[in-house]
Amino acid sequence: MNPLLGAQAIFTDIGGCILFVGEAFRTAAKRGVLIHETFAQVWRVTMQSLTTTALAGFFVGALMTLQFSLLTKSFGALGYLGGLSTSATIREVGPLLIAFMLSGKVGAFTSAELGTMRVTEQIDAIRCLGASPFQEIILPRMIGIIISSFFLLAVGLIMSMAGGLLLGILFAHISPEEYLRHVPTIVTSYSVATGLFKCFVFAILLATICTYKGYTTTGGSKGVGRSVVSTAVTTMVGIVIADWVTSVMSEGLLNLVSR
Amino acid sequence: MKAHAPVLTDTTSTNPFTLLGRFVIDGTSATRDFLSLVALTLMAVVTPPFRFRDTVKQFYFVANQSVLIVTFCVTSAAAVTIVESSFHMKIVIQNDSLVPGFAALLILRELGSVVMALLVTSRVGAGLAAEVASMQVTEQVDALKMLGINPIRFIVVPRFVACLVAGVILSLIANCVCLYGAMLVSTWKLGYTPNGFVTAMRGFVHFQDLVFAMIKGGAFGAVIPLFSCFFGFRCKSGAEGVGLATTNSVVATSVAVIVIDFVLTYVFTNFY
Repeated sequence: MNPLLGAQAIFTDIGGCILFVGEAFRTAAKRGVLIHETFAQVWRVTMQSLTTTALAGFFVGALMTLQFSLLTKSFGALGYLGGLSTSATIREVGPLLIAFMLSGKVGAFTSAELGTMRVTEQIDAIRCLGASPFQEIILPRMIGIIISSFFLLAVGLIMSMAGGLLLGILFAHISPEEYLRHVPTIVTSYSVATGLFKCFVFAILLATICTYKGYTTTGGSKGVGRSVVSTAVTTMVGIVIADWVTSVMSEGLLNLVSR
Repeated sequence: MKAHAPVLTDTTSTNPFTLLGRFVIDGTSATRDFLSLVALTLMAVVTPPFRFRDTVKQFYFVANQSVLIVTFCVTSAAAVTIVESSFHMKIVIQNDSLVPGFAALLILRELGSVVMALLVTSRVGAGLAAEVASMQVTEQVDALKMLGINPIRFIVVPRFVACLVAGVILSLIANCVCLYGAMLVSTWKLGYTPNGFVTAMRGFVHFQDLVFAMIKGGAFGAVIPLFSCFFGFRCKSGAEGVGLATTNSVVATSVAVIVIDFVLTYVFTNFY
């Protein structure tokens, strides 16, 4: 593809996304948010993605513990294993990898659903009936996904501790007490706050991108597949960029606080 | 007298025995369907007529169009892991000299191929499931059957072959780029020389690790289209059904990838 056209497409997407969010805010201010529908979405998204997120969190925790058990074993510092791997998972690696998995799941589901609605002209039907598709469909999903993704990422982080603990017991042969002893000394409330802040930013990104991509689907069943794919790609790139930005921000904040 | 509906088709019943029975019957029939799909696919892969052009088109979609995003994400995940490892090792023992070697080990053994597979699952697998489910909902699959075309040969086989080959190649590329990215990160952020990184790496990993990573990539790649097409074919009607098929396929594939990873890692430990 022509790189200029590619750049233009990226800027068109960013602009369209911002306009889309603006429209959503305007609808929320003018017509209000459907509370019941929002909670229905929270319930649906959470229940559907709980297994994936828990599994991904478990896997990430196990992965980090594997890495740190190899490292600490060679220095004879296995006692620090629990604290180190938990801290690394919660601060950076956990939110990033779990958000990748969650974006694949929630993003694909939402954009496929909205895309099919668009392709089968259900969204036009809602507009024909005098209702606002933003109020009826988009806003509840957006808010629901933000709330439930944040919740799910937090659950994933807790599961990552469990995964790390299990792998520490099975692979590094240390007792649970020994594994957990250094968790409070190395994991500070600051690192937990960093991890949760990252989760929140990723949740907002995910909710915005998947509803936007689903809403703007064109062109039949192939188009639905295309918008699902481009949701995954856009969300992942967005999450990586947001990860860098939040890392720099949290580092700067840490320097400010410690000075 | 009112005719009794068969108990197991009564979907409103909350009798625990009914629920258990329905769960068992649904589970066995799903397993049987999946195994027959796998068997028919493997049969159709080795028997003519082959659909070369479709396979190449799918291969372009799976490999060429996702190589950039996959390598980008895997490399960033590896970079984050390395920076975090070094940061935490410095907290505790003021020494991060072994981080590059173990990072290379982690990338080649686990992170490269598994994260690659999970990303391809959510990118290609979800798109594929949505496409097949849409075809099922809009009765295109039934139309194919009516025209006397075997939908498995027409839809599943090109995607299966393409994903299998693409898994091997993507795993190779992702691992190599990831190692290179790890070298860059350790040079910029941690102050190693590139030479020092390569020396440390060669002490920990060997060529066979890359081969094992490629085998893993192929196995993961083969699983993705099978689950996606299985859930796509079973799709219930409507927009909700398409979304449900997509999520179910992503969940099933992710679980399968992690399970296969454990099995293969266990098998490969005999060869180190």
